[in-house]
Amino acid sequence: MASSQHVLLSPAELSYLHSSLSLTPPLRPDGRSPTQYRPLSAETGILPGTNGSARICFADGTEAIVGVKAEVEKTKRRWDDDTIFSENNHHQQQQQQQQQQQEGEEENEGRNNNDEEGGSSDWVELTVEIPGYRDDDSGTVFLGQMLSEALLADGGFVKRLRINRRFHWKLFLDILLISPPLSYPLPLLSLTTHLALLATRLPKLKSEGDEDPFFDDDWAAAPYLYARDPATKRVAERPPVTLLVMAVGGNIIFDPSKEELAVADVVLAVSVGDDAQGKGEDRMDVDGSNPGRNLKLLSIRTVDPPSRLTPPGVANAANSAYGHAQVVNTGANQKMPEARQTESEAVEGVWKPPRGGAKAVVMGALVQKVLVRGGVADEVLDALEGVDTS
Amino acid sequence: MPREAEPSLNEKQFVLQALQDSVRLDGRELEQYRPLELTFGDQYGVADVTLGKTRVLAKASAELTVPYADRPLDGIFNIATELSPMTSPAFEVNRPTETEVLISRLLEKTVRRSGALDTESLCLVAGQKCWSIRVDVHVLSHDGNLIDAACFAVVAALRHFRKPDTSMEGGVLTVYTPAEREPVPLSWLHSPFCVTWSFFGEEGDIAVLDATWMEEQVRSGSCTVSLNQHGEICQIAKLGGVPVEAVSLLHCTNVALVKAKDMSSKLDRWLAEDAKRRDKGGLLAELSAENDRVPDM
Amino acid sequence: MPLDTSTYNLALLRVDGRRWNELRRIHAQIRTQAAADGSSYLEMGHTKVMCVVTGPSEPGPRRGVAGAGGGGGGGGAGGQSKEAEVVVNIVIAGFSSVDRKRRGRGDKRTLEMQSTLSNTLAATLHTHLFPHSQINISLHVLSQDGSLLAALINAATLACVDAGIPMTDYVTACTAGSTSTYAANDEGADPLLDLNHQEEQELPGLTVATLGDSDKVVALVCESRVQISRLEGMLAVGVDGCKQVREILDQVIKAQGQKMILEGTVDKGTGLNDMDLD
Repeated sequence: MASSQHVLLSPAELSYLHSSLSLTPPLRPDGRSPTQYRPLSAETGILPGTNGSARICFADGTEAIVGVKAEVEKTKRRWDDDTIFSENNHHQQQQQQQQQQQEGEEENEGRNNNDEEGGSSDWVELTVEIPGYRDDDSGTVFLGQMLSEALLADGGFVKRLRINRRFHWKLFLDILLISPPLSYPLPLLSLTTHLALLATRLPKLKSEGDEDPFFDDDWAAAPYLYARDPATKRVAERPPVTLLVMAVGGNIIFDPSKEELAVADVVLAVSVGDDAQGKGEDRMDVDGSNPGRNLKLLSIRTVDPPSRLTPPGVANAANSAYGHAQVVNTGANQKMPEARQTESEAVEGVWKPPRGGAKAVVMGALVQKVLVRGGVADEVLDALEGVDTS
Repeated sequence: MPREAEPSLNEKQFVLQALQDSVRLDGRELEQYRPLELTFGDQYGVADVTLGKTRVLAKASAELTVPYADRPLDGIFNIATELSPMTSPAFEVNRPTETEVLISRLLEKTVRRSGALDTESLCLVAGQKCWSIRVDVHVLSHDGNLIDAACFAVVAALRHFRKPDTSMEGGVLTVYTPAEREPVPLSWLHSPFCVTWSFFGEEGDIAVLDATWMEEQVRSGSCTVSLNQHGEICQIAKLGGVPVEAVSLLHCTNVALVKAKDMSSKLDRWLAEDAKRRDKGGLLAELSAENDRVPDM
Repeated sequence: MPLDTSTYNLALLRVDGRRWNELRRIHAQIRTQAAADGSSYLEMGHTKVMCVVTGPSEPGPRRGVAGAGGGGGGGGAGGQSKEAEVVVNIVIAGFSSVDRKRRGRGDKRTLEMQSTLSNTLAATLHTHLFPHSQINISLHVLSQDGSLLAALINAATLACVDAGIPMTDYVTACTAGSTSTYAANDEGADPLLDLNHQEEQELPGLTVATLGDSDKVVALVCESRVQISRLEGMLAVGVDGCKQVREILDQVIKAQGQKMILEGTVDKGTGLNDMDLD
């Protein structure tokens, strides 16, 4: 979507933005520091009809709502399950019946049953709605893919949806952008999804083993999808967040606004997770001895920056309006090299859209900056931890 | 996107001014329909309706299929509406315009949701076999009031339609060809008709029935009422447009009922005439076939 | 499961404990969204919708044929017309109903609602003041429990007021129904005001939208089979309900206006005088 967003800035404005963002330290239009996120207000549990929901408003007015709904679904059987269960006399839901028809085909595959604890990425369905865009718009689809990719990257998330060998939860995540898309909504949608998942609860399972699941009616007893530590009320492991980072000149800037994106050299969407396994120490001390989280990198995507589509500026030397009449009077064949020159050479104060790919060094630096302990990702996760998700 | 040429300011002004004086361009009364004509095709289930210069063709067809998983006891009934570029350059293939969406929704609500066709009777084997009835609506010529004409055509086509006879014996489903057994009519419960009012003027105080295309282009609002001859409203759609007094809307529905009853009796008469015509032909053909065979033996 | 109308006859109370002429709780807010020109949040019972208005503004590049609603009252297209085009976009969230049901943007019911809203608002907003422009209204349905179209119309009205788009009067909407099903020709049937989801499923009903506190009907949508004799009662109750809704919405707007004056967001003198002139 970034590439299709229209930025109504003149080449001169773009050039000014680019040079002020390239300063050390960079000067951002809204006065933020390079690693500073926009202030946000957040709340969870706003929709009683869902398993979990959250709403986040950024200070620039952009707002998103995420609702999570869960349904019990029958896991596609593997060949050896047949010998244990007879399926015929169970009440089955409609979509389960449809699946049963497909099972005939599945049976022949004879997959091994080693990944019994694992799940399938079909168990999560994620949709993104951006007002004014069709849901099959490439930008919307790309956003949805980036968000679900982060969630499904390490396979740890779907494991939580397993009920028993025969049933699992199917999770539907509906992500709505409420406000008009003023900035590239990825960070907003990702943070809102993060909170909604934290607030998601699934009914308490009362059945045992592999029998047909039935659940406790008491919603108060329903456990969270992301279990809390009973003593500290803290969430042990947290859903991933996707951060938007861009590089301009030699600077790395987090959570860029629409205008900043318009002059970006490279834009990356980096998804990070909180690696609970590698965390042995007690995380209660929040003061200086805090070693930070063990972050793990889940996915990286480059986002096509809209800067590539911006109109190039014309240097005064080549601009006929400044009285260099000879440029106009020369023949067309001579005009061409002139134009090519302005394309290739960087002139101070003249906007030139970035061409070509990003340098590997820059990419490395971007990822490094995201993953650094006590860095922005840590800060964002800490801030979200402050939101009451109970 | 191609657009229809709009009427000029003068034309608009003229039509509106005339309507203020209760005069219509074609000399009709405000609550008078253009002549409604219906021709049945040679096949069962083809109805060609003309309403003035508006002409709509509807064709019903049936095929055997599997019922939807969530409705194992119901057959399938669909109405497909197509406004082709033949009708107007503003219509493109495969790109439903707002008009097309609204017409198909109105037909769907009028005929399908009001339960005019008994879909349960279309089910042959629960969850396994059912009839899928489909009506294709083609607008051949557009001179306003497509909805009323299309609705009449759909109802006429469905009531005229005969589906192949079937029988169930010992779990074996047999579908008979027309030669083996006479096809049977659909199980039809009631015949709803659409009556569309057009409102003119800032206040919406001029209400006109059966507007022509020119009138439709200058109208400030419309309201479609669907009723059957038993005085049941199947659907009302006044989708925005100029505000109209609630009392005049009630008057509109009462007049619409008269029109719907009128259409209903017309359709009954035409169906009876067609049945008579076919019956005679059918019987003669059968007799002659038998007579032909006798000398051979 | 058929609605047990016998209990209604016994105590004259509906499934949710209301009497025949009672609205559900309406809770509304305006100016909920800082980035938009106008915004509102409206709850009618458990039906919850959000509305965001942008514009009147220069028409953007046309995206999504199916997504865009219909044209303005004059029927002009795009930026060429003499009146602003009202483009309505409805997003029904997947989590809004009890069983998750996904509706694509191409869903005809949603398209019909979009077109209804667009034509309803075009008739009320003074679109002729904004030639060659576009008013974008996006509505988000967060929770559904009957009377959806009515809630959408009310929310859109509030958001348009918040956006400061001149309009003739409030367009308010509500639903009305009748206690007897279409099959029974029961003359003793009571009309009902403001149907919830269960009543909407079981009983005949209609949605009516009126202009201001007049009896003028802007939109009237009936999607169920009902005896013609029942229409008058339902329409009367519906129109009366619209007036009640108008009072509630008016209070919401006035409360917000008062708050803004107290906060000093608007200058008291000019703001109030302008209101009086109208």
